Amino acid sequence: MTSTHAAAPPNGDRRTAKQKIAVRLEPWLYSAPVLILIVAIMLVPLALGVSYAFRDIRLLNPFSGAFVGLKHFRELAGDGAFRGALVNTLWWTFSSVILQFLFGLILALLLNQPFKGRALAQALCFLPWAVPSFLSGLDWAWMFNPVVGPIPHWLYALGIMSEPSNILSDPETAMWGPIVANVWWGIPFFAITMLAALQAIPKDLYEAAEIDGAGPIERFRSITVPFLAPTMAISILLRTVWIANFADLIIVMTNGGPADRTQIVASYIFTQAFRRLDFGYASAIALVLLVLLLAYSMLIVILRQTMLSRH
Amino acid sequence: MASITIEAITKTFGAVPVLHDIDLSIGDGEFVVLVGPSGCGKSTLLRMIAGLEDITAGEIRIDDRRINEVAPKDRDIAMVFQSYALYPHMTVADNMSYSLKLRKTAREKIAEAVGAAAGKLGLDPLLQRRPKALSGGQRQRVAMGRAIVRHPKAFLFDEPLSNLDARLREQMRAEIKRLHKSIGATSVYVTHDQIEAMTLADRIVAMHGGIIQQVGNPLDLYDRPANLFVAGFIGSPAMNFVEGHCRAGVIETTDGSKVAIPDGIQLAEGQAITIGVRPEHVRIVATPEIGTYTARVDLVEPTGFGTIVHVHLLGQDLKIYTLERGIAVVGQPMHIALDSARLHLFDRETTNRIG
Ligand SMILES: Nc1ncnc2c1ncn2[C@@H]1O[C@H](COP(=O)(O)OP(=O)(O)OP(=O)(O)O)[C@@H](O)[C@H]1O
Ligand SMILES: [Mg+2]
Repeated sequence: MTSTHAAAPPNGDRRTAKQKIAVRLEPWLYSAPVLILIVAIMLVPLALGVSYAFRDIRLLNPFSGAFVGLKHFRELAGDGAFRGALVNTLWWTFSSVILQFLFGLILALLLNQPFKGRALAQALCFLPWAVPSFLSGLDWAWMFNPVVGPIPHWLYALGIMSEPSNILSDPETAMWGPIVANVWWGIPFFAITMLAALQAIPKDLYEAAEIDGAGPIERFRSITVPFLAPTMAISILLRTVWIANFADLIIVMTNGGPADRTQIVASYIFTQAFRRLDFGYASAIALVLLVLLLAYSMLIVILRQTMLSRH
Repeated sequence: MASITIEAITKTFGAVPVLHDIDLSIGDGEFVVLVGPSGCGKSTLLRMIAGLEDITAGEIRIDDRRINEVAPKDRDIAMVFQSYALYPHMTVADNMSYSLKLRKTAREKIAEAVGAAAGKLGLDPLLQRRPKALSGGQRQRVAMGRAIVRHPKAFLFDEPLSNLDARLREQMRAEIKRLHKSIGATSVYVTHDQIEAMTLADRIVAMHGGIIQQVGNPLDLYDRPANLFVAGFIGSPAMNFVEGHCRAGVIETTDGSKVAIPDGIQLAEGQAITIGVRPEHVRIVATPEIGTYTARVDLVEPTGFGTIVHVHLLGQDLKIYTLERGIAVVGQPMHIALDSARLHLFDRETTNRIG
């Protein structure tokens, strides 16, 4: 900065006010197309969506549209179905993420070992990622159906079930259906990210540790985990937010039922907006979900920063 | 401290043979340097001693205990890696004490050992830093420190200095030598730098293509290289090689010049010979005499202390290393004498030394 000051003419700026304004505006003009796009595509819908939360917007009521203040939020506070959905969301999100992560990590560790046909195995393991979520939802719904699918019969044969029935229709077990489908579908994401991180660890660290006397578990604890931790944190964060918002499998497999036992906040928003056509209320729920997820994200980002700064 | 015996070791990676029938015994407290060009199998041999590579055939013993099947951690050796392989998320102190902690050494003992090693290597002010915050030379020291805290039976070094700049390398070389004198532990040191090999080694093992070419103390390898490979590898600037045949009691070189056969050497008529002569052993003489050669100076390379003079002689670009300045001028003729006692003769078929 100091050098530009030094280069300025010593007897002050002789440009006219008009020229000065033009100079000021110039960078904004160059970035205008992008700025307009960002505002139009991202900020306007966001603001509109947020504003809906404070208005009475029901598609079937032509007189709706008035500003109602915090009415939706007061309603929400007393809405038992919403509270149920919140609990279900926690359950759905964390069991999906944890299982996806664990299996993904195990898969990555296996794929990181040299063996014959490893390239093929890697390609196959990443296949579920390519299956559209609706298709995998349908697939798994059929697999859990005792009429056409094998899983209830296997569970019965193993003695886990007293008779081959559909877990999706039992309120006690229904949530496990979409979770299993989600885990199957999401493992490749973790496997890919963890495998990439694993392959970046220098091999001679393991060798040095082996000579120093560390067994396989100790090597995993003292080398693999610290190296993977930042990647783990960021991928878990991304997946958590994503899965909390991810209603496809639930809509397809159970549609929130039976008895709302698989209703998560995201599918509840969907139900409010497109079944009951109450966009105002749906927006209010969405806003609450947004705030919760933002808070969670901040937490993880801070955690990651402290972890990285310790390195 | 321990002796290491390597017996008939062979190593293949898949179908690719890398080491052929290696025999070597390393005495208690000896500093042995494995030297050779890139890819000759030095690291592989070292890693087999460490237990990081399987042994395809043969046997390695430490103190007469067969260790082929012994896990690296139970061999009681320490290794210093070219990349240092420091644990990046541990402090210097933790890096150094890691192996002792894993061995459930008492806390006071660890502190004592780390303190002593840090003192020896001048690491005291760095103990709480992480490797990231260290310079290359400091990292190298930490890697050494991590090796010595444990008082292992043997030290293995895989090109520990090759990531340092020339000056630091010289300094660390001297430090390693001093350290070895004070600790006296059996050491196997891999390098492709022949100066490092010459200065550090009690004994040098020159390797090429997975085969040991010569084992001996550094001056032996310099004075009496066993074959063309060792002759060309040890010494800088490298030895001159002149090709010729034995004809009527002299060696006739490719350009028709004649070189007298040194005393006490028997050659067969017509035998293909390579004559080796070190640049520092080629003499420049003021006046032509019987048996001297005359050649024009092609190139003069001053190195500061000495000068390398290139002349075209005996059908070769012959290098001469001289300490006299201003003796050679490009384009001027020069008289050169070869002392027959300083010549090395090699059979070109077998590449082995004659006499
Ligand atoms: N894991 C491996 N699989 C197959 N070939 C290998 C493997 N490791 C080494 N080699 C081969 O074995 C030979 C010897 O390798 P090594 O690392 O021992 O060489 P080196 O003498 O240490 O060379 P440098 O001075 O470059 O370190 C090389 O030709 C190398 O390509
Ligand atoms: Mg090597």
